[in-house]
Formats: sequence, C-alpha cells, structure tokens
Amino acid sequence: MFAPVKRLLKNTVFRLTMIAALLFSLSSLIVLGYIYYATVISPINAIDRDMEAEMDELTHVFNTSGATVLGRDLFERMSREGTTTFYIYDNNGQVAFNLNAQPLFKSKGTQSLWKKLTGRTSLDVRKFVYNISDPRKPGAPVATHRARGIFRQLSPTVKLFIARDVEGIMAPAERVTRALFVSFILALSLGLISGVFVSLRFAKRIADFNKLATDVRAGDLKRRVPRNDSGDELDVLAQHLNAMLDHIDTLMTAMRYAGDSIAHDLRSPLTRLRTRLEAAAHETKDVAAREALYAASEDAQELLRTFESVLRIARLEAGERREMLVKLDPKPILEDIAELYEPACEDAGLDFYFEAKGQNQIRADRGLLSQAVSNLVENAIKYTPKGGRISLQLKKLKDGRTEISVTDTGPGIPEADRDRVKRRFVRLDKSRTKQGSGLGLALVDAIADLHGAEFKFASGGGEGELPGLKACLVFPRATRKQ
Amino acid sequence: MRILVVEDDEVAADYVRKGLMEAGHVVDLAADGETGLEMAKSADYDALILDRMLPKRDGLSLLQELRADGDTTPVLILSALGEVDQKVEGLRAGGDDYLAKPYSFTELLARVEALGRRSDPSAAVTKLKAGDLEMDLLARTVTRAGQKILLQPREFRLLECLMRNAGKVVTRTMLLEKVWDYHFDPQTNVIDVHISRLRSKIDKEFDTPLLQTVRGAGYRLQV
Repeated sequence: MFAPVKRLLKNTVFRLTMIAALLFSLSSLIVLGYIYYATVISPINAIDRDMEAEMDELTHVFNTSGATVLGRDLFERMSREGTTTFYIYDNNGQVAFNLNAQPLFKSKGTQSLWKKLTGRTSLDVRKFVYNISDPRKPGAPVATHRARGIFRQLSPTVKLFIARDVEGIMAPAERVTRALFVSFILALSLGLISGVFVSLRFAKRIADFNKLATDVRAGDLKRRVPRNDSGDELDVLAQHLNAMLDHIDTLMTAMRYAGDSIAHDLRSPLTRLRTRLEAAAHETKDVAAREALYAASEDAQELLRTFESVLRIARLEAGERREMLVKLDPKPILEDIAELYEPACEDAGLDFYFEAKGQNQIRADRGLLSQAVSNLVENAIKYTPKGGRISLQLKKLKDGRTEISVTDTGPGIPEADRDRVKRRFVRLDKSRTKQGSGLGLALVDAIADLHGAEFKFASGGGEGELPGLKACLVFPRATRKQ
Repeated sequence: MRILVVEDDEVAADYVRKGLMEAGHVVDLAADGETGLEMAKSADYDALILDRMLPKRDGLSLLQELRADGDTTPVLILSALGEVDQKVEGLRAGGDDYLAKPYSFTELLARVEALGRRSDPSAAVTKLKAGDLEMDLLARTVTRAGQKILLQPREFRLLECLMRNAGKVVTRTMLLEKVWDYHFDPQTNVIDVHISRLRSKIDKEFDTPLLQTVRGAGYRLQV
C-alpha cells in the first residue's frame, strides 16, 4: 500500500502541485486573516476606543456636576441614536438606573459580571455575552448576543458600566469569513485531487518513454514513442526521440550492411588467397618453398581469424544476438573448457586447477560463453611463465550473482591499463612479442556486455586465490523476467 | 566419389573442381540453383557441395526441395555467412555439414570425403577397425594387437572420430566440433596436445605409428 504512495511523492508534477497548493493556502489564509481583521477586529477596536472616550466624558461630568447631572446626561445620550446601554449599579449590585428606554434587557451576563466587578474600581470588560429577549414577543427564543463594555466606580455608591452590542458587527463578518474559508478548503481539495490525477497521467506518459528506452537498450530498435499530437512539450520530446531512433536504426543498418558487404567482398579474395597458397605448397617439390608457402598460408589463416573476430565483435556490440540467451548452469561448459585446455597447460609447464561451487543459474549463450572463457584461459596460458598455476573457478557471490574467474600466477595487468586493454587491437608493450591480434579481450568484453555481465580484472591473492591476474565475469542472477 | 559442385563464383568453382579431381574424384559443376537442382535430381552423386548464395534459386531452397523429394545424398553447404545460428539453419534445412567462407581447401576436401562415407545408412556399427587397432563402441574398449588400451572418455571420442574417418584427413576444426562441440578457432594448439597424448597411448609401444599429422591440414589415422 505504501509503494504507490511513495511513487506519487516522487512524481514531479505532484510535487509541483503540492508546492502550488501550499502557496495558494498561504496566500488564501493571509487574505482571510486580513478580511477577518478588517471586518471584525478593526471595528471592534474602534468601538472600544469610542467607549473609552465616552467613559472619560461621563466620568468628567460626574466629577464636576454630580450624579443627578450625570443621570440627565445619560438620558440625553440615550435619546440619541446609538446602541450603547448604560447601567448604574448601586452597592448591592442592583440596577439602580437602567437608562435604556428600549425594551428591558434581561442580562444574564451582567449578573455574573457583577461578581467580577466586586471590589474593583475599574475594569475594561473586553467581551461578555448576554441573553436578550424581547418582552414584546413573549415565547420568542432567547438569543445570545455578544457585547463589549467598560466599568468604572465613580464613587463608593456610584458605579457606571457602559456597554455596546457587537453581534451586529461580528455575526455577518463571521459568516462571510466562514464562507470564504469553506471555499478555500473546497478549492484546495479540488486542486489536490486534480493534481493527483494530472500527476498520474503525466507519470504514465513518462513511464511510456522509460519503457521504450529500456526496450531500445535491450536491442529492439524498431520501437517508437507513441505520439498524441497535442503539441505539448512531451509530444515535442517524443518527436525528437523518434527522430533519434530513426537515425540510430539507419546507422545500424548501414553498419550491418557495411559489415556484411566487407564480409562478402573480402571473403572471396581471402579464400582464394588461402587456397592458392595451399595449392602452391602442395604442388612444389622444393622443401624450403613448401615450408614458406605453408607458413604464408598459416599467416593468411591468422589474418582471417582476426577479420572474423572484428566482425564478430561488431555484431555483438550491435546487440544482434540478445534473444539467444537461455537459462543454464555454466558448470558443464566450464568443465569442458577445463578438460580441453588441461593438456595444453601441462604442456606449457603449468598447473591447471578447476573448481566449481554450488548450483548456479545464469542467462547465457553457450557458444559465446565458451568462447569468452576460452579466451581468458588462453591468455592465462600465454602469459604465465613456466612452473606457474592457472585456476578456473565458478562460485556464487554473496549478492547472489555468479562469478566465473580465471586466475594465474603471471605478471598481471597494471591497474592503469585495465580498461584500455579491453579495447580492440590494444596490446601492452610487454605482450608485443607474443602471438595475437589484441582482439581477444575486446571479444570477451563484447560478449560480457551482451550478457549483461560485468567483466573486470583484479589482482589475485585473495582467499584461496593465486597471486597473478584475476579476470572475472560476473553474471546477474537469472530471474524469470529479464 | 562422384561430386556435384553448385557454385556461381567461376574462379572458386573451377579451383574446387581441379582440387577434387586431383584428389581422385569425379566432379560436375552447376553455376546456378535451377541447373544444380536439375542435375542433382537427374543423376546419382555421392556428395553435393552447395553454395548458399546462388542465382535463380538459393542453396537452402534447393536443398529443401531435394530432401522433400526423398533424396538423401550428403550435402556440404558453403557460405559467406558463418554465424552459428546460420549453420543451424543450414543443417536444419537438410544439410549434413556446413563450412564458412573463407575455408581452406584441405578442410573442404576432408569434410567432403568424410561425408562420402556416411551414405551407408545400414551400418549400425558397433566395432571400428584400423590396422590392428580395434574399438568396441558398446563395451567402450580399445585394443591394439590384442593389448587393451585405457583411454579417458574424451580420448575415446577423439579416437572414434579419427577411426570413423580412417584413411581420411580430419581437420582440427572438425575435431573441435565433433568431440567438444566448439564452433570457433582457438588461438592455441589445444587439439595438438590432446592428439599427442592419444598418440602416446596408441602408438608409442607399437611398431607402426597409425596416427599421422598432415601438415597444413589435420590428422589422419592410417588404415
């Protein structure tokens, strides 16, 4: 269940969607915050300031003119328009003077408020609630309104409390803000859902590209990216990729044609060269001439072998034979090779040792595998001085891969040269005196590549290993889908 | 042997014909697929040498037609296409042996002569003989002048191959193919060493050396 989620999280489009969503959320929340401030907080602050100013005025009136004048003033203010309610409390907490000529308010809030106010001389009551019922409409539901008020004790017997109802401001503002918030949530959800859909669609298109690339790398050059003619960037990319694949295909065909042409054109004259030399050797009575002609014929043979190897390598690199791989256990093939080369080794004064451990399954082409391992064994024989040892080993590595290695007690290959030596026609200075064309390792490399195997050199001397060169072919595990 | 060579390259065809004739065979030539098919059908040949690339009708289709007709004449296919899968294709079409160009004439000769022997299907051979050397294929034993010779399984197969073609040249490539199922040219002289070991077992203590090296060609067991 987590795998598809993880994949989604890695999706570029989805990530962009998330970032966009985040930015959208941030800006929306900022806007909403501002709206709330402007419609709710700001007006309320204004009301507070207003009430403070009013309280100051009333205090001044009381201090200069006394309670009666204050009462009159309050009455006057009440007859003006406004929503301020004035109460004067006496010591017992009774409302001594409700100056509001409006319907009587039964203020639950003020009862407990009184408890709060006891003992204080002034208090800014920022907010409180009170229940309001209209005596003109008995049985009507009781509404709860919000209000804000200021309290001051003007004298030990006169306490003034002024308040204003703010429900009329807050309620609509809150409704608006709430509506905006809901829209924001809706928009965000829709955005995210469509983001997921778009990401998945995008991912599918990219997956198509990737699958095609994998197939092409495996050798199928006829595949092309499907186009949807939408003209978008992916489609343009598809166009370019297809053009590139066409080009590669043309090149490969031309190369194959060139290779085959060379093969065809050169083969006939080469055959004739060889047969003429052999015929001449056959016919001549002169012993020295015969020897020379046989030698020349063998050289021609060597030339032809080199030629064949070059073509073979080219064909392998073109990936023509990938379908030939089958699941097999390399042990019998290696046994055959060991058995074939053991006498030659002995003859060269070398000790040959073959070891195969465990069951191994790899995907390989029998002929190519034999050729590659033979080349390595032949090199080992060629470069190991008399009295040395050669070992051919098959074993399974800790990571499940299969390793075939040929180790010797020869001079080895210096680390700096190990990559170079795999290229065509490269021969190290030390080896120039020996017979060979410098193609053996290039062929092994091409074969390894075709098999998806790693071809590398190491200095031996590890556990149970000989101290010279270790040439290994490491094959991936043969799985059902490959 | 009476041999039919179907090859469109005049120079090559002529050369092969001369070579075969010198080796004592009777040779007919055809320069294209249609003529080749006609000639193969109308006369009895001991072996056919067939090039794959032919005008008018290609070698493989000629071969398939012959085989469909019930003709079992041994056929050696020649071609410029040398990959193993193409060889398999050729052999499946009914060929008995396949040689890639460029080839050495001695190789060609050795293989054709080896084919010639095969046209005797009734021989369910259990014993092979060459001079005083005897091989029992069922018991897997080898004796020479009555003395038992102990051979490794591979040496046995090597000797068997030589004995089946006794008196004829067997090339190193043929041996690699038949005894080790290898289809490429090794750089070293691996075969030579095996041969010399075999030789030391079957020839050393005896009067006449049977296993001969034919310079530039291969090996031959004398009859």
